[in-house]
Amino acid sequence: MSCGAPGTPSRPPAVQSGSAVPAPTIRAVLAALATTAALTLPLWLESPYFLHVVIMAGIFGVLALSLNLLLGYTGQLSLGHAAFFGIGAYASALLTLRLEWSFWLALPGAVALAALAGWLIGRLALKLRGAYFVLVTISFAGVVALVSVNWMELTNGPLGLPGVPAPTLGPWSLRGKRAYYYLVLAAVLLAYLVCRRLVGSRIGRAFVALRENEALAESVGVDVTHYLVLAAVVSAAMAGLAGSLYAHYTRFVSPEVFLFSYTVTMVIMVVAGGKGTLAGPLVGALIFTVLPEALRAVVSWQWQMLAYGVLLVLLVVFLPRGVVPAIAALRNRRAS
Amino acid sequence: MTRRCLVLAALVAAATLVASLNVSAQAPIRIGVIEPLSGPVAASGNYVRMGAEIARDWINARGGVDGRKVELRIEDNKSDPKEAASAAEKLIVRDRVPAIMGAWGSSMTLAAMPKLEEYGVPMVVETSSAATITKRGNPWIFRISPPSEMEALGLEQYVDRLGVRRADFLAVNTDWGRGAISAFGDMLKKKGVAVGAAEYMEQAATDMNAQLTKIKGTGGDTLFLTTAVEQITLVMKQAQEQRLERRIVTTGGSSSPTQLIKQAGAAAEGSYHIVFFMPWFPEAMPDGKLARAFVDEWGKRGHPFEGLTEGFRGHDGIATIAEAIRVAGRDEPKAVRDALWRVSLVGVNGPIKFEKDGPAGKESGQSKPSIFVVQIRDGKVALPDFLAKK
Amino acid sequence: MAELLQHLVNGLVLGGTYALLGIGLTLIFGLMNVVNFAHGEFYTLGAYATFAALGLAGAHFFVAVLAAIACGTALGALCELVLLRPLRAESIDTTMLVMIGVWIAMQNGELLIWGGVAKSIPHPFPTAPLVLGPVSIAPLRVFVLVLAAGLIVTAYLLIHTTRLGTAMRATFQDRDTAALMGVRIGRMHTATFAFGSGLAAAAGALLGPVFLAYPSMGDLASLKAFSVVILGGLGNLPGATLGGLLLGVAEEFGAGYVSSGYRDAVGFVIIIVVLLFRPAGLFARSERIG
Repeated sequence: MSCGAPGTPSRPPAVQSGSAVPAPTIRAVLAALATTAALTLPLWLESPYFLHVVIMAGIFGVLALSLNLLLGYTGQLSLGHAAFFGIGAYASALLTLRLEWSFWLALPGAVALAALAGWLIGRLALKLRGAYFVLVTISFAGVVALVSVNWMELTNGPLGLPGVPAPTLGPWSLRGKRAYYYLVLAAVLLAYLVCRRLVGSRIGRAFVALRENEALAESVGVDVTHYLVLAAVVSAAMAGLAGSLYAHYTRFVSPEVFLFSYTVTMVIMVVAGGKGTLAGPLVGALIFTVLPEALRAVVSWQWQMLAYGVLLVLLVVFLPRGVVPAIAALRNRRAS
Repeated sequence: MTRRCLVLAALVAAATLVASLNVSAQAPIRIGVIEPLSGPVAASGNYVRMGAEIARDWINARGGVDGRKVELRIEDNKSDPKEAASAAEKLIVRDRVPAIMGAWGSSMTLAAMPKLEEYGVPMVVETSSAATITKRGNPWIFRISPPSEMEALGLEQYVDRLGVRRADFLAVNTDWGRGAISAFGDMLKKKGVAVGAAEYMEQAATDMNAQLTKIKGTGGDTLFLTTAVEQITLVMKQAQEQRLERRIVTTGGSSSPTQLIKQAGAAAEGSYHIVFFMPWFPEAMPDGKLARAFVDEWGKRGHPFEGLTEGFRGHDGIATIAEAIRVAGRDEPKAVRDALWRVSLVGVNGPIKFEKDGPAGKESGQSKPSIFVVQIRDGKVALPDFLAKK
Repeated sequence: MAELLQHLVNGLVLGGTYALLGIGLTLIFGLMNVVNFAHGEFYTLGAYATFAALGLAGAHFFVAVLAAIACGTALGALCELVLLRPLRAESIDTTMLVMIGVWIAMQNGELLIWGGVAKSIPHPFPTAPLVLGPVSIAPLRVFVLVLAAGLIVTAYLLIHTTRLGTAMRATFQDRDTAALMGVRIGRMHTATFAFGSGLAAAAGALLGPVFLAYPSMGDLASLKAFSVVILGGLGNLPGATLGGLLLGVAEEFGAGYVSSGYRDAVGFVIIIVVLLFRPAGLFARSERIG
């Protein structure tokens, strides 16, 4: 998030991940191992509870990737990202419950609606940067949350929408966790690939230019507004995707999806994982989905949230750039 | 040589068998508890937990269930439906509980319900008031708290004696508050009472002056208030500041009149409260001895008196589950579920027995709890004036 | 008409409390560029510290309030020294994240120490409301308003007339030049954060008796504080004051005349509209710090 006056770099540029290159074979082996593990996960991860945690980590991974596009690459912090998540969840739930659409139509519908909301924010916040952009996103999320609570006819208000149907693929139902895991895995891969293509392209470079020095970027002809809106739209669309996945997994949507704590969790995942990197948000999502559940098992309920806060502070103090950049820096030092 | 080996082997086998029998006979019965132990309603969640712990200790003091000790596996749902679902999953899969009590708020309970169906584990609902919980066709749900409609029916007999002609509503903007406005509104309209304003307040709101100024202008004579004790305190104090002279009736059972007297003082004078437990006159409860024992034990543990109006729910929930396990003869979820239909016990609130509620073939269980009305008079909790003067 | 006047008075009193929340944060967020999500927790701490001082030490009400402010200031200084100073070279998001951690830790620490039950903080003012024509207002609220005004004026004078204040402003306007002029940069950072946190604690100490003290009371306060800060312009003390009053009145009228369910939405919509037309805040002047 850039708060300084235009023209002043607000902080040093983000560490590029993967700037050190270890032996190619080790890397390839690790990658192959990881891929096999991911593809066969439901077979060796026996406990359905662990599978549940992994599925939630995947959904939040997509969310974190989406926030990272705005926060990490364009440098604009959106503290209303839960709004896009919630819009996606509600849209998907309502389309399948009220209009009886198939999940495979409702999903793109939800994505489209969330993207529309993102476009709205992008256009609304055209001239706003830094703290002002943040506040507009917070206000937008606040309004959407209040609508979901008060517009009873549409959203059923605080009672929420129970009984959201699970997706079906032909004769097979994707209700079971194993099947759903693959759905979420596919979504994570899709989101990751989209981000990767975007970041590596000319558009991605424009994002970074926007983040690092907006005035300079404009002066060389980069249409800053256009790219900001584009970032907002793609980011919101991905968050909407995560929302739809969430709705059909938990099969219950209520205004609590708009809770500020969801946004805070997303921010934690992106920044602690390593913003401005591609792997960072995914690592962050995994750590911060597993952590509360691990604390549930290890610490009695009185100390769980306090421990969570303290661990977060410690993580930030020791790894201020995030986990992934820290690992990359370690590799750098080893290589040199 | 072989014979000695055989005898030795037989002895070892017998010993192992006996040892394993012993072990399983002493393996504790685990009951899951999901409550909001952190976040904005942490106080209420903790009161329910305290009541549950008293029930557990009493059961264990009497020898447990079929000789086995009861153990509570307590999870925090952090006032978040997503956490309620995760907690349910963990309790069922990792802790292998045969039954759960929870999850306080209606959205938390609704979020956990799909897990109950997925794994086939029953849950006793101790606080949630949304009608939809038992009407959704989830045969693993058994509720001992009253839905708002039942509560409204409980008040119906007193409406004339209270002298309500024109009522206004101020409720917290959650399923609970909205459900109360809807249920009580319908009940009042049937009795010919005019309904004026229906105002809402956000759960975390502390300033309700705008709503109160609006209500002041309607000319009504009674204000129905549905929210937790903290907000009731604030509403009463602010109503006093705005000189809102009106009869106040709180619904939902979370008003904790003792706490109100302490914190709202004179502003609470004269107000009526629907409660499901009267710790000030425990002998007036259906099982007076049990109620008195509960109040005494609560005090002995140093728990705040204010919490009794919610703590009893924890006791009754655990007592119900334990009784079902006893009737079933084993702590297996489906057996416990079937046994819940057969239980008949008396808790702190009164008799607990489940009747069918919801769509045919997939009914949930709903008990008919006792409902009471008390009033704050002369800085103390008393039976309402319209009952006293007969 | 009576209703309108009452709404107006309600709104001004509410706005005064929002202003009090905003002035501390405008220093921390506006000058230091720290997204302080824990600001609401210092507010909460102020309320609990007052409660503790009254209960444990049996102190007089005003002494308890002062003790609470001192507590908030001290803890703020500690936070800056231990957590923010090592991270000063890092990005704004990193400091934001550490303050999120502090927020979670503080709130759950308060829950652990005092429990989830709301605490009533006794005060020496009479409960009968003052009646001015058709309008009622509680004496305690008048006291809070007067004291809040006093604190705001004091803060403004401190920042704009004293040497310390000038040094603070210089530090955040141009750090290197200030250092060359002999300003101790580290101390300025600590002083500013401590001062801002102390103001938040003051708000909590004053508002605790008006409402109640409970662990999550700071969440909403943080959000309103951020809105007020941005409405008024970052680092702009009079702006934050006026912004707070405006937000309070707008919310009051929105709840009173539009819909109480959408009450907070009124505030949000106003913020969005204002930022669309005056992106730098309502009261921004051409020369602004930070």
